[in-house]
Amino acid sequence: MSDNSVIKTEGLAVGYGRKIIADGIELHAHQGKIVTLIGPNGSGKSTILKSIAAQLRPIAGTVYIEGKAESSMKRQELARKLSVVMTERIEPELMTCGEVIESGRYPYTGRLGILSDNDRKKADEAMRLVRVSELRDADFSRISDGQRQRVMLAKAICQEPEVLVLDEPTSFLDIRHKLELLSILKNLVCEKQLAVVMSLHEIELARQISDTIVCIKNGKVDRSGTAEEIFRGDYICELYDIDNELIKSAEGAGLSESIYDINRTAQYICKGRHP
Amino acid sequence: MERRRIRFVSGFVILAILMTVLFIINLMKGSADISARQVLNVLAGSDNTSSAYSIIFKIRLPRIIAAVFLGGALSVSGFLLQNFFNNPIAGPFVLGISSGAKLVVAFVMIFFLGRGIAVSSAGMITAAFTGSMISMGFILLISGRTRKMSMLIICGIMTGYICSAITDLAVAFADDSDIVNLHNWSMGTFSATDWEDIRVIVPVTSAALILTFFMSKPMGAYQLGEAYAENMGVNIRVFRLMLILMSSILSACVTAFAGPVSFVGVAVPHLVKNLFGTAKPIVIIPASFLGGAAFCLLCDLIARTVFAPVELSISTVTAVFGAPVVIWIMLHRDKSKGRV
Repeated sequence: MSDNSVIKTEGLAVGYGRKIIADGIELHAHQGKIVTLIGPNGSGKSTILKSIAAQLRPIAGTVYIEGKAESSMKRQELARKLSVVMTERIEPELMTCGEVIESGRYPYTGRLGILSDNDRKKADEAMRLVRVSELRDADFSRISDGQRQRVMLAKAICQEPEVLVLDEPTSFLDIRHKLELLSILKNLVCEKQLAVVMSLHEIELARQISDTIVCIKNGKVDRSGTAEEIFRGDYICELYDIDNELIKSAEGAGLSESIYDINRTAQYICKGRHP
Repeated sequence: MERRRIRFVSGFVILAILMTVLFIINLMKGSADISARQVLNVLAGSDNTSSAYSIIFKIRLPRIIAAVFLGGALSVSGFLLQNFFNNPIAGPFVLGISSGAKLVVAFVMIFFLGRGIAVSSAGMITAAFTGSMISMGFILLISGRTRKMSMLIICGIMTGYICSAITDLAVAFADDSDIVNLHNWSMGTFSATDWEDIRVIVPVTSAALILTFFMSKPMGAYQLGEAYAENMGVNIRVFRLMLILMSSILSACVTAFAGPVSFVGVAVPHLVKNLFGTAKPIVIIPASFLGGAAFCLLCDLIARTVFAPVELSISTVTAVFGAPVVIWIMLHRDKSKGRV
């Protein structure tokens, strides 16, 4: 491999069964960098992430981790290189946050999954990095959504991956917890030199946190590049199909503020279209 | 950490003591009461001629061992199903799996007994296992269509009723001489077990339980949901298949020898989880076994002695203790999660 990307996809086509949801996906993720997928709902972001995380077999093409095809790796080997944080809430019974985080040591423990001192140390470190140490003995089902996602992030870190895949990790969170989670993530990426591939709904946050943004539309990579390259002209309106008619009708409904003020990005982007 | 360890150890000690005490009381109590001293003498081997000896060895001991192993198997089977369906009130009886097993066993018994052929223990287990798998297949089909916990349970209960109705019908048309046996068995009882059965029950359930215990690591990961488990390196397909096989073998074994026994599979794992304050499979699998054993010993004791000489079916007793626990789980869950 000539380039030093940790994750690389080649001619990737993803979907369920024979139904292709997205194809021609070429992605690169590098150490210490964040790649973010944005795009409308149903464009195939989650499916792409699931395929990268090897939860879904690609229909065509290959995902490489450090130059090695994922399909040729053993489950345990892959689990030590890649971990995930999903959108869905999980509801484990009678589990403390500490136990949830420690479960990230799964690929490193023996047949019965008994933790060594080293495993506990790694779990402690993950808790400290993600600032959830005080939640160690709290019941996982009784903490807030924001805390839960932080715990899941700590679990993912505890797995000591090279690659972190996050599928809309901020979806259920309020703005404070969105910011909190993403700033912790950003610090982690620097400290642990992780390669991150994630999807985000919040384009403004994506703009600020990402090193590379990949825009997915109708199952294709529509555009990719740095934030400056993507957030140019009225591209975002184009990506999300925000046409003049919608802008007008939004204005008519008194929602123009939300286009211009609340979402600064859209304001910045959609300026050119405003009559 | 230390506090949890103390809780685990004391939990196991409590269950072990409970089981031992019930074991001994079961040996003592019955249509003829035997004193503790006599029981000890018999067990120690210093008395092998008296009537106490034959009562204990020929009647009570096999029955008690059956209650221990089958009760344990049943509650572990329930725990496996609860994890599989991520549903706290899943269990072999509630999901109609016991009834499916009962149906096939009844047919096999009627068919062979009617031709004067005795059905071997292994044959009974095979028949019960076949029935379990048929019901399980049906439940899996439903669970693929709905995520709703209540739908799954309702379908399971309905399956149970259909199977029981067909079984009753078959029993009604069976030969007179078989009816008594068949009827007793189809109500659920440990009374008919002899040493020959024990020689099958103990190895089969032990093997399945040991295999199950070694699945506790992937089960723990599975409690975080399929996606996370897969990401941690669990082979989900193989794991799910194993879970289904183990829970079916365990509950089939129970149905083959004791008939359908209600609610143990739901109530015991739940009580045990609360006692230990965790749902960790590595703790709860052995604890469920001990708890199920103690629970069935207690229920069998009540079934045998309370209205002696009339013997109750074991399900009558387990339902009295088990059903309220199920109701409690439903209500509690409704309150905390807002969904049933």
